[in-house]
Amino acid sequence: MAGRIKSGKVVLNIVLAVLSFVNIFPFIWLVLSSFKLNKDIITETPTLFPVVWTLQNYTLLTKAAPFLRFFMNSVIVSGVSTLFVLISCSAMGYIFAKYNFKGKNFFFMMIIATILIPMYTYFIPMYLTIRALGWVNTYAGIIYPLIIMSSGIFFLRQTISMIPDDLIDSSRIDGSSEFRVYWHVIIPLSQSALAAIAIVNWVFTWSRFLWPLIVASSERLFTMEIGLAYFRRSFMVEYGGTMAACVVTLIPVLVVFLIFRTRIIEGIAFTGMKS
Amino acid sequence: MLNALIGAPGSIRRNKAYFIMAIFLPVVFLFVVVRVIPILSTLALSFTNYNMQRPITKFVGLENFIRLFGDDIFQMSFRNSLQFVLVALPAEIILGLAIALMLNSELRAEGYFQTLFFIPYILPMVPAAIIWQWIYAPGNFGLANFFLESLGFHRVGWLIDSKVALNAIIAMHVWKNLGFFIVIFLVGLKDIPPDFRDASRVDGATAWQRIWRIELPIIRPVILFTSVMASIWALSAFTEVYIMTQGTDASTGVEISVLVFQIYVEGFRYFRMGYSSAICLVLFIVSLLLVLIQFRLFREK
Repeated sequence: MAGRIKSGKVVLNIVLAVLSFVNIFPFIWLVLSSFKLNKDIITETPTLFPVVWTLQNYTLLTKAAPFLRFFMNSVIVSGVSTLFVLISCSAMGYIFAKYNFKGKNFFFMMIIATILIPMYTYFIPMYLTIRALGWVNTYAGIIYPLIIMSSGIFFLRQTISMIPDDLIDSSRIDGSSEFRVYWHVIIPLSQSALAAIAIVNWVFTWSRFLWPLIVASSERLFTMEIGLAYFRRSFMVEYGGTMAACVVTLIPVLVVFLIFRTRIIEGIAFTGMKS
Repeated sequence: MLNALIGAPGSIRRNKAYFIMAIFLPVVFLFVVVRVIPILSTLALSFTNYNMQRPITKFVGLENFIRLFGDDIFQMSFRNSLQFVLVALPAEIILGLAIALMLNSELRAEGYFQTLFFIPYILPMVPAAIIWQWIYAPGNFGLANFFLESLGFHRVGWLIDSKVALNAIIAMHVWKNLGFFIVIFLVGLKDIPPDFRDASRVDGATAWQRIWRIELPIIRPVILFTSVMASIWALSAFTEVYIMTQGTDASTGVEISVLVFQIYVEGFRYFRMGYSSAICLVLFIVSLLLVLIQFRLFREK
């Protein structure tokens, strides 16, 4: 019996190893190909590893498009969005978890109700608004819909409601204002939830495509994603250049993911599960 | 009067009132501005002939919706989006569950496998779609055809053959999102108290019986949630379709439209924003219907 379970586990391990390898094989292939010569990419007999290792695709890349600029744009958009989301989620989470006043539940339901409505469906009025504000083709316009994260508010409410009331009350009795309570009790005690929200929001704003595509019309404001989609055309047959551009776009997210992988998976599992 | 309403100066109640005014109200205001008003405005716009390049806008009642019935491109995108749901949803649920069940057997390398399966989900869609466009490349240098030919099969025109193209894109969509479903199912399976598993082992149940009789019934709410997510994502698929069908040269890609693609084209290429809003409303109603149907199905059993 024990032997059967053991050999069963060996089989499972092998099956999972093969499946997970196949699953990420496109990325492995991509990274290796970005070091290949163009003629070794478009060939009848592809090899896994480059026949000749070359960096020419990456040097071509910096000449073809200002990817550093795109990178900075993505950092600005994701960074500002995440800052807004952190403040609003923690403060709203605190209020929804620990306050009682008329209308609280109404507002809470209103926020929950919007979680499941895809943002695509209300891009048109949002676009008209930022056009009226003169924000088309500005950072403000790109960041505009990303300042609120409904599922994050819900996540923080759940986390903060687990903080014992005694802690909050004793701080209040010591004469702390609500801002002090928020800053010195709530924020430190919900740190790991806030970190999860920050990372998840960072990664997903980084990947936004359609909204920046609509709003950013000049190259100066392109994010990594838009820049990649746009400049793919200028490479045409230069597959190697496209591959290198893809690698450059993937790396920042991959690094963030590998550093914070447990938090990200927990954060997504939680915001996903409980919404 | 003021003291009665928000408490005496310096009191906890007064402090809370200040906090609400300083934080809660501004955030709610922003929320209303970037979510509630746009959602309601879409509804209102869908009954107008609003066009950004034309000054006169009037209320046209149901005209936009009637026009949708005669719009062949809309009908095609509607069917394509439905096919997206019908293929992607079962594929994601079945594959996700199968892999999660395999992962949930006290393996030492579980964390590593989970990470590897999760990577495609977390990485941005644009580069992922470009990779797949290249995997599906026509002729002999696409990876998919290379493997098919080495195994002795004929080449397939993955993104060229209009019968294959949509399903090829859906396969990519499933691959991209699978990691999410695996993780959610795994969380659900881990929440089952170990007693159940031990008891079934003592009773001599096979792994197969345990899965069908105990684990799947317990995680039914999780399956409901994931199938709701899967259908909403499938209905609102855009980036993968946009990238993979916008050919870099004449040799790749047929025009395949889905609902969000039509919203984009009508609204932001032709600026027919009233008409585009009507498609938004259709998309919203279809996803609402799908969610309601799923809740029904899962409750009745």
